[in-house]
This record gives sequence, structure tokens and C-alpha cells, in this order.
Amino acid sequence: MRYKSTGELHMDFHGATNTTIDYIANKYGKEALVDIFHKVGKDVYKSIHEGLKNDDPSELIEHLNYYLTREKADYTLTENEDGFVLDVRKCPAVAHIKSLGLEVSPYFSLQYVEISNALCESTPWQCSTEIFEDGRYRQTFSRRK
Amino acid sequence: MMIPSDHFTKFYNEVFKFLEAKGEKDLRDYWLEISRHQEGHCLELFKTKGLKGMYDYWEHIRIEENCDMTLTLNDDYLKLDMHKCPSLSKVLDNDATPCKRYCDHCEGWIAPLIAKAGYYCVYDLIDREIPKCKMYIYKDKELAQKKRKEIADRS
Repeated sequence: MRYKSTGELHMDFHGATNTTIDYIANKYGKEALVDIFHKVGKDVYKSIHEGLKNDDPSELIEHLNYYLTREKADYTLTENEDGFVLDVRKCPAVAHIKSLGLEVSPYFSLQYVEISNALCESTPWQCSTEIFEDGRYRQTFSRRK
Repeated sequence: MMIPSDHFTKFYNEVFKFLEAKGEKDLRDYWLEISRHQEGHCLELFKTKGLKGMYDYWEHIRIEENCDMTLTLNDDYLKLDMHKCPSLSKVLDNDATPCKRYCDHCEGWIAPLIAKAGYYCVYDLIDREIPKCKMYIYKDKELAQKKRKEIADRS
């Protein structure tokens, strides 16, 4: 895995992410935020993106398991014939933002959708995301038919 | 996919590049927004406890953000001696290109907050490609100006 952070966690960064998302969307529009998330997906997570291009989702699965476990998320990741399903019942970022007394940005969940879409772009993989309330979301990663 | 808290700085770096392309004012306005956001966390502490309050805040940050940093509290100033900045380190250890102005965000949000608390911040950046810097916070304006001149003369 390309990035494997260790040591203490500074969960307040989720608050800064939330503030930044709101700021960019409100000042420059949703499309600007989508562009930034796509750069995160394709440039920052280039290694995961390259893996998917080569039909290998192993680094993506390892990344999701590693960071969701590290942040103590309530989630399951289930592999199946078509790919895998990530079911997050309590997103640690949303839970922490609420614990700080901040209002979760209406654009916050866009990161789940757009970073994943960017990772899958021009690869044999696709992702569909369902957003529920209170930091719950489900992502289905599957091979394109 | 959620941006892990560990990777916030990599997201931050992308935001800086986007804003830098828009213009200097766009970048500075964003840092001021972050500064205003941080006021809720530390302005009251800085105003009421002064340099000791700042020491306590950055000691907490030192631990939680895994900073290799020495904090020195003197009667006249607080010195933050960053031996290895975790924020810039993560941005440099990155498949995406680092924003050349990345380090400027630190002074960009800290200095206005420190000024609101009635103190003066002097930043010694050293090198934008080495995760190492120094910051001095003074109560006395003249001492701050003297330090600022000393750094400028050295540069």
C-alpha cells in the first residue's frame, strides 16, 4: 500500500476538511469541488487508480480496510463474484464533525462519490454509491459488464 | 471513499493548488477562513493564558499530529522548533505534485489569530522543500521586529 500512516490520529482534521468543502463549494461551486476530488482520486491515490486500471483492486481494498479500521469505523467490506461492497454504518469523519458541534456540510458526502468515481475512471471498474442519513453509506465496486 | 484524517494534508495540498491558480487573494482568503475557524478552538485560550496557553495548545498538537518538535517557553516568547513537520512530510511523500506555496498556509492562518490575541508571530521558513521550520511568538512588538530583521538579514 502506497501510504500507510501510523502513530497518533488527529481527528480534528475532519473538521478542517468539512470547513474546506463548504468553503470551496459555496465560493467556487460544486464543480470546483468535484474537480479537486478527482485530482485526489487520480493523482494522490495514483497507485490505487493504476491498480484498478490493471484490474487489481487489492490496494483499494487494503486502503479501505486499513483506514476505516484505524479510525474505528463501524463498517463491513464484503467481497463477492462481481467485486465488493463497502457498507459504512457510521462514518468516523461525520461522527467526529458532529462531536465538534459543527454542522456537516451538505457537500461532505461528495467526497465518497467523486474520489471513488475518479479512482474507477478509465478502468475496468465502476462504483455506485448510496448515501443514507447520519454518515451511513454503501459503495458497490464492480467490474464493468 | 472517505479522506482519512491522516491524508487531510494531501487534500489540503490539492485545494492550495486550485486556489493558487485562481490568484493570491483567493489563497489568502482561504487561510483567513481557516484562521477564523480555528478561533473557536484557541483564541480564548491564547487571550486568557497568553504564551502558556499557546504552549499548551501546540503541545497537544505536537502529540496528536506526530510532530518532531521542541517547544520552548520563555518569559518573552514561545519558540516552536519543528525538526520534522508531519504536514509537509506527507505532502512531499505524495504521488501528486506538492504546491510550491504549501508552507505559507501555516503563517497564513496562525499570524492573524495570534495578532487577535495581542501577540506577534515571526516565522522562519528555512526551506520549502525541507520539513523543518521555526516560529517565534512574542508579546513585545519590538522584540518581534528585531527577530524578523535577524531572519531577513540572514536570508
